[in-house]
Amino acid sequence: MRSKLRKIKTAALSLVLFGSYVFAATPVIELKIQDHLFFPEVIEIPANTKVKLLVNNLDPTAEEFESYELNREKVISGNRKAVIFIGPLSPGEYPFFGEFYPKTARGKILVVEP
Amino acid sequence: MFLNSVVLILQEILEAALLFSVLLVFSKRCNIKPLWVIAGVGLGAMGALLFALNMAQISEWFDYVGQEVVNALIQLTLLLVLGLLAFQLSTRTTSPTTFRDTAHFSHDSSSDLKNSLKIMVSMMLAVSLAITREGSEIFIYIGGVINQPLHVQPTLAGSGIGAGIGISAGVLIYYGLLGLPAKKITQSNLLLLALVGGNMAAQATLLLTQADWLPYSKVLWDSSTPLPENSVVGHLLYALIGYEATPSLFQFVSYLSGVSLILLCWLLGKLIDAPAPSLSTPSTTVKINH
Repeated sequence: MRSKLRKIKTAALSLVLFGSYVFAATPVIELKIQDHLFFPEVIEIPANTKVKLLVNNLDPTAEEFESYELNREKVISGNRKAVIFIGPLSPGEYPFFGEFYPKTARGKILVVEP
Repeated sequence: MFLNSVVLILQEILEAALLFSVLLVFSKRCNIKPLWVIAGVGLGAMGALLFALNMAQISEWFDYVGQEVVNALIQLTLLLVLGLLAFQLSTRTTSPTTFRDTAHFSHDSSSDLKNSLKIMVSMMLAVSLAITREGSEIFIYIGGVINQPLHVQPTLAGSGIGAGIGISAGVLIYYGLLGLPAKKITQSNLLLLALVGGNMAAQATLLLTQADWLPYSKVLWDSSTPLPENSVVGHLLYALIGYEATPSLFQFVSYLSGVSLILLCWLLGKLIDAPAPSLSTPSTTVKINH
């Protein structure tokens, strides 16, 4: 009985630890949209790591974050924030653009070995 | 602004146009009045407008991933409606009269009428869901541009042309399908319906991965060098069969599951609807079905 309880405790503890590990392991990267431009234009992230992109659209108009290389597509309403999870990715260059204003809104994610 | 609008609107419309054409062909083959088109487009346009107007709030649900979750839900609901439709249509097309001679097919019996109504409702739902999803992006895009006087004219002109090309493609698919030999029409149409289903399932999986509701799965292949997604052919294939240059394992599995679901629903309908023959002659039943 005692050993069973201990097992449950260990399981619960490892779950909590694992959970906090996963939580802690998701870095947040902030990206701004202003005057139909992305700031920063180049974002560097570590390879093989999931990243939470927090996109803050400071323009009054909506923009659509799009990247063929990242397989991501999301509308971000004017003056609003949005979250996009990307990765884990292998090292390389992953361009992205704003589908509504593709001439100016361009950027890329550089994935580098940590 | 002009060219961008053409591409953007065309992309959104192509996907819906394919589904539209496939459903119209089924409708014609089963002698169902295309009343569902008007109802479906109307409902879809309303849905798209509501979705677009509330996008900002919806996006903030579930810790800023509401947009992905709601879109995935729309895709999955559409997949289920398409499954139901495949089931309903397969029972309908088994009826020998429908196939051999559609002109003589009558709506006299009340069960036929009931069946037609059910199919019409499913088709209306399918079309309205597809339009809600694709149309909301169009509304948001045009809504944003409309406040910038310099951009209004080229955007509207580009959108009009994009929509025109998309709708023409739909018309081409429709007549292309109807031009096939009679036996091939239903087969090709079913295959296209199944591919739309697969596409919906794969897109839903991608959206839920983007929202971190589904875990990451490894990329299966990279065909971006021979066929980039942002090439003309890539765009076309994306809209028509959900082409991805770098699909993940889960996306691929979802695609296959979506396709299988539609085909299984069709087979199930055939099995249930098959006239109870003597067990010794199953091959005859199969022949009638085709």
